[in-house]
Amino acid sequence: MSLREAIQYSLMILLYLFLQIFFMRNIVLFNYAFCFIYIAAILLLPADMDRMYTLLIAFAVGFIVDVFSNTFGMHASATVLIAYLRPFLIHYQMKSRGAERAEVGIRAQGLGAFVSYIFPLILIHHSMLFLMEMNNFGMILYTLIRIGASTLFTTILIILLELFSKR
Amino acid sequence: MLQLVDFVVRNRFFLVFVLLEVLSAWMIVRNNTYWGATYFNTSNYYVAKTLAFSNSVRDYTKLDEINADLASENAHLHALVAKLSQTNPSQLPAGYVPDSAFAARFSYTVAKVVDNETNKANNVITIDKGTAHGIKPGMGVISATGVVGKVRFCSEHYSVITSILHSNFMVSSKLVRSKEIGYAKWDGKDPNLIDMIDVSKYTKVFKGDSAVTSDQNSVFPPNIMVGKVQSVAVNPNQTFYNIVLKLATDFRNLSYVYVVQNHQLVEQENLKARTIELKK
Repeated sequence: MSLREAIQYSLMILLYLFLQIFFMRNIVLFNYAFCFIYIAAILLLPADMDRMYTLLIAFAVGFIVDVFSNTFGMHASATVLIAYLRPFLIHYQMKSRGAERAEVGIRAQGLGAFVSYIFPLILIHHSMLFLMEMNNFGMILYTLIRIGASTLFTTILIILLELFSKR
Repeated sequence: MLQLVDFVVRNRFFLVFVLLEVLSAWMIVRNNTYWGATYFNTSNYYVAKTLAFSNSVRDYTKLDEINADLASENAHLHALVAKLSQTNPSQLPAGYVPDSAFAARFSYTVAKVVDNETNKANNVITIDKGTAHGIKPGMGVISATGVVGKVRFCSEHYSVITSILHSNFMVSSKLVRSKEIGYAKWDGKDPNLIDMIDVSKYTKVFKGDSAVTSDQNSVFPPNIMVGKVQSVAVNPNQTFYNIVLKLATDFRNLSYVYVVQNHQLVEQENLKARTIELKK
């Protein structure tokens, strides 16, 4: 990775964190749909990036969001989980398409492949987050609706941001 | 030995992954440790400053509601003054001498809400007063319209409050007309509604009755509004009502709160602790 790319990706991470902390934390649709846009920073890291760095970056990003929302490590653990699972999914997709270079992004992959890459990871992240936050089992249905609605909301926002971003 | 090193090198990603997960799980479970309580929450000076900045923009749009709340609180206080000045001490039971230190045991500190959550399963509020202003964990917090919560963490200039919309928070409250005492506890769903539990079903509960903090409370002053009874249901298998209260405070528009300091709390708690020691 060149220095230019490194700076570019650091800025991207900061931008997504900024978006999350200043805007998205206040936006909740119908009391159900939350948006955790910051995970896009992990999902859109280059596919050939060292896995160790990805894990550490994911932990740092999750931890910063934790500090700002008083959740003590819930975001960190969910984000580390998707950072760990991400290379497997990328590898699997690359094999099934027969591509020789792994790339991430709506332009490189096309809309269908991109959605099938981000959607499962967002679902896992949100499920883990909301299930950890759940106090008692009586809230399970309510929590499941929240997971579904939030996953859709985050996915749509990430796709929109990807469509409008020039790279 | 070489095999062990080989194993570690081969599985280093998985090992780091497990390590980070264990670290975050440890942070979640031990969230009251010194480090967690001091630095890694929104009472951290820099975090709170950032949030205060983003909140200041929203504050302008809420000024109308804040004014209305303050005006209604003024009206309420005027009514209270009038009532107090008319009360004659002969209503008290014979031989009861009111203790002036007991009557004046509460003092209030005004604080501004820096960050506010209502949508999570456990909500907390950050305010801009901390240990430098005499605030300590465990103090009660009320607003112009009703009960808000209890102080959890403090830094020098900021504090984090466990809101009443939090799963481990209960307020001992009293229904005004039926004089029944129960606990108000949030079920984690709608930020406008709260459950009242432990009210015996052998008394009459009226719809629209007010629930206020009870006299048994050591954290909150008595007769602070909690909410109004919205619906009452009886479960045939249980001896308690399922009462749903509509919260008096609109948590989405919370801007200014009062931190209540009970000067006699330590004395009261020490006495209680002694009874527990005696039982042992």
